[in-house]
Amino acid sequence: MADAANGNARRAKSVDIYAPQWRNFLFVAPYLFIFVAFLVFPLFWGIWLSFHKADTFSSGPFIGFGNYARLFRDGIFLQSIWNTFYFVFLTVPALALIGLFLALCLNRQTRSAAVLRTLFFSSSVLSVTIVTLIWRIVYIPDMGLLSMIYGFFGAKAPAFLSDPDIAMIGIAIATVWWCIGLPMMLFLSALQQIPQDIYEAAALDNANRWQTLRSITLPSIKRTFVLVVIIQIVFQFQLFGQALLMTKGGPNNLTRPIVLYIYNTAFQRWDLGMGAAASEILFLLILVAAMAQFLLTRRKADA
Amino acid sequence: MTASIDIKNVTKQFGSLTVLDELSLSIPANEFVVFLGPSGCGKSTLLRMIAGLESVDSGEILINGERIDNQPPGQRGVAMVFQSYALYPHMTVRDNMAFGLKNISVERSVIDARIAEAARMLEIGHLLDRKPGQLSGGQRQRVAIGRAVVKEPKAFLFDEPLSNLDAALRTRTRIELAQLHQRLKSTMIFVTHDQIEAMTLADRIVVMNNRKIEQIGAPMEIYNRPATRFVAGFVGAPAMNFLPVKIRAEGGLVVAESGAGLRIATAIPAEGLADGDYELGLRSEHVRITQPAGGTDEGVVDVLERLGERTLVYVRLSDGQQIVGSDSGDSRVTVGDRVGLAFEGAKAHLFDATGKAWHSRESGHG
Amino acid sequence: MASHNAEIRGRSFGDRVLFGLVILLALAMAGPVLYVIALSLKDNKELMVDPHSVFHMPYTIKNYIDTIGTSNVFSWVLNSFIVAGGLTVLTLILSSLAGYGFARLNFPGRDVLFVIVLLGLAVPEQAVLIARHQIFSWLGLHNTYPGLILPGLSSAFGVFLMTQYFRAIPKELDEAALLDNASRFRVFWKVLLPLTVPAQATLGIFTFLGAWNDYFWPLISATKKEMFTLTVGIASTQQNFAQSQGIGFLMAQAVFAGAPILIIYLFFQKYIVTAVSGAAVR
Repeated sequence: MADAANGNARRAKSVDIYAPQWRNFLFVAPYLFIFVAFLVFPLFWGIWLSFHKADTFSSGPFIGFGNYARLFRDGIFLQSIWNTFYFVFLTVPALALIGLFLALCLNRQTRSAAVLRTLFFSSSVLSVTIVTLIWRIVYIPDMGLLSMIYGFFGAKAPAFLSDPDIAMIGIAIATVWWCIGLPMMLFLSALQQIPQDIYEAAALDNANRWQTLRSITLPSIKRTFVLVVIIQIVFQFQLFGQALLMTKGGPNNLTRPIVLYIYNTAFQRWDLGMGAAASEILFLLILVAAMAQFLLTRRKADA
Repeated sequence: MTASIDIKNVTKQFGSLTVLDELSLSIPANEFVVFLGPSGCGKSTLLRMIAGLESVDSGEILINGERIDNQPPGQRGVAMVFQSYALYPHMTVRDNMAFGLKNISVERSVIDARIAEAARMLEIGHLLDRKPGQLSGGQRQRVAIGRAVVKEPKAFLFDEPLSNLDAALRTRTRIELAQLHQRLKSTMIFVTHDQIEAMTLADRIVVMNNRKIEQIGAPMEIYNRPATRFVAGFVGAPAMNFLPVKIRAEGGLVVAESGAGLRIATAIPAEGLADGDYELGLRSEHVRITQPAGGTDEGVVDVLERLGERTLVYVRLSDGQQIVGSDSGDSRVTVGDRVGLAFEGAKAHLFDATGKAWHSRESGHG
Repeated sequence: MASHNAEIRGRSFGDRVLFGLVILLALAMAGPVLYVIALSLKDNKELMVDPHSVFHMPYTIKNYIDTIGTSNVFSWVLNSFIVAGGLTVLTLILSSLAGYGFARLNFPGRDVLFVIVLLGLAVPEQAVLIARHQIFSWLGLHNTYPGLILPGLSSAFGVFLMTQYFRAIPKELDEAALLDNASRFRVFWKVLLPLTVPAQATLGIFTFLGAWNDYFWPLISATKKEMFTLTVGIASTQQNFAQSQGIGFLMAQAVFAGAPILIIYLFFQKYIVTAVSGAAVR
């Protein structure tokens, strides 16, 4: 209904400030460029590489599932998968349970509790290389801290890093020492969200400490427990630094996790294609493990 | 600054839902217009379309004859006071007020002068260096108004600005808003669902319901001659009484008969009225409480509301219907009493099945 | 266990056992660190002769003096600082801009793109490492600061965090600013961004910490000695333990390496804990 006298100049469309505009794309463009260039593209390029016999210079000839086949025929790779699962089995329950224990004990307002909480979290801010340095020193046979403590009781310390039976356990202990802070903190914040009046009601109902714990506290933090477990599974599956620096994957490949295998294959033997194939398998395993955990607890909740 | 606003055949849709349907409205300069209506009637949407925060699907909006719906919000020359005030939390009051002017590169001296003037007018001079978080609700509201005043806009838009204030503050602020309008002599559009705010502040009220404009008029016109059944029931507290009736013509005027056999003579011209179902509308002040046999009808008192200067008496009739009547402030009536109701037929309104209203030739002017 | 309950029942035997357990764990926690510090304060030759000498005097700061004089620790710290600091600053900038874009602005394909970015959160580092390495070789980015910063910049975490935070700010502020004639960028810069300081702090700390402690990527990308970051440098000293410049000296280097981050932790405890917990909950 524009005035005829005004002609067509005014016939512009009404302004919609929430309409899509290309101009707005400029805000996300810088990040998206980096995202596509250094995450999306490498993700697909890696899959591409896994189907080729590749080295640092080129992707080489196409060999289909050749790399994958070779992987599953490689005893060391299969061992590494087993090692990784074993390691996750060693560390995740320990981290969850010890973390929960500490959170329960330290969930109070006292000064000493605050100091202890700080102490238990402080190891988490160290890098893996410092942690391995510390624990290698501790584990040194005959000279390290562990030896000296055992020696004090007149015993000989287990040779954690060189004994094939317990090498992984040695790494697991160091890892639990390193990672205990986060589970403890997550449980603490979950505990603090439980309303105080539930405890008061339980006290009035004459519940003792163990009953309170079992029937009230633990059910309230179930969600967080699942979260902690999933996070730790995903994280510990990616074990690398501790294995590389403490045992180099030995003895007899018994402490070689998947990521170390990838490192050996891709960055020491420079067989990029096979390394890429191994990383795709790792990716899949992590996804499946996290999802399985998630669905399992979902199903339990419905039951 | 002041301006006229023209809304021409404006339609707005959210997906498949039509929120405004071919709405047209003309607001002359300097007028204080209130968009009144229940939640969801489209009044806020219309206001936001004038501001530029909602797009116009078809139709045009003009200020002073110039089209503005194709311009971005900042360039339309309007200022808005939001229901939540929307003050910038991290800026001082002074910076909040200066922000808009700084964005269009107004000189510092001019900005300072305008802020000082607005602060004086709104009595917020002592708050200029505080942050919104340190202010009370009422103070924040003044700052929001100050932010608008400083821009010297062609029109002020208020989106339910009084809803977040407590009752006492609301009354005071209403008065101050009226005074502000007198001083600035600007066009002001005020959106509310509160009919008291509308009646007290407006030069003209635009009553909206269900995507359409029900009536536009001065407050007393809306009150005395509501154009539709909706307007009659929405404006005025307590709400108008409605009696289902059948009508007859007698001496050129409508005589209404209720289901219970009540006969009420009105001053409404009977010509043009077809047969059918009608409702008779009477405000509570036109239903007087009398002795049981002294009125048009009688009933039992259900509820009493003593307002001080008058008493509202809720009476249940023999057929179960409840009517609200008024009595003096020191009425002796109590709950359970049998009382008579005297209907002032001359002040009655008639509503047909479509909701259209019919009034007597002369209605009282307030 | 609410402390309320504990007060009602008083100290019981069970309480003492638990307390003892916690103390034991605390000793296990602190023990290795104290041991390392003690070692760093001993003369190397003395340690080689008798390892038990770590438990008693004399202690010396000779190792620290030697470290200051000859160790590469400082260049490693500097490299880590440049990389972590650079990554943090760039992440804050890019994530804030993108977060604002996704939360407040509309552009073609916005919702689809956001979902894709979110999916990026599920991708572990190892799935892209090898390809990145090859690409960076072609681009000549190895052993450069950009080469160490760019991979971390592609993380979706920052964008996710900032988008959520922007979404929580009331839209009326944007609208009021638009009516105040602000451009979309000015709304971002002057009105919304100042309100995101808590999120920036969290994101900044998390990013800095992650970059500071990163090992795998610098290991394969910063292969020249002068580009070593702290993690790689410390790892490189672990090659030949006993034959190196001596355990005491090694430990002094470790203390130098760990001290900065521990000091920062002690000062910014609250922020760091919130950052890491918040990050993990995603």
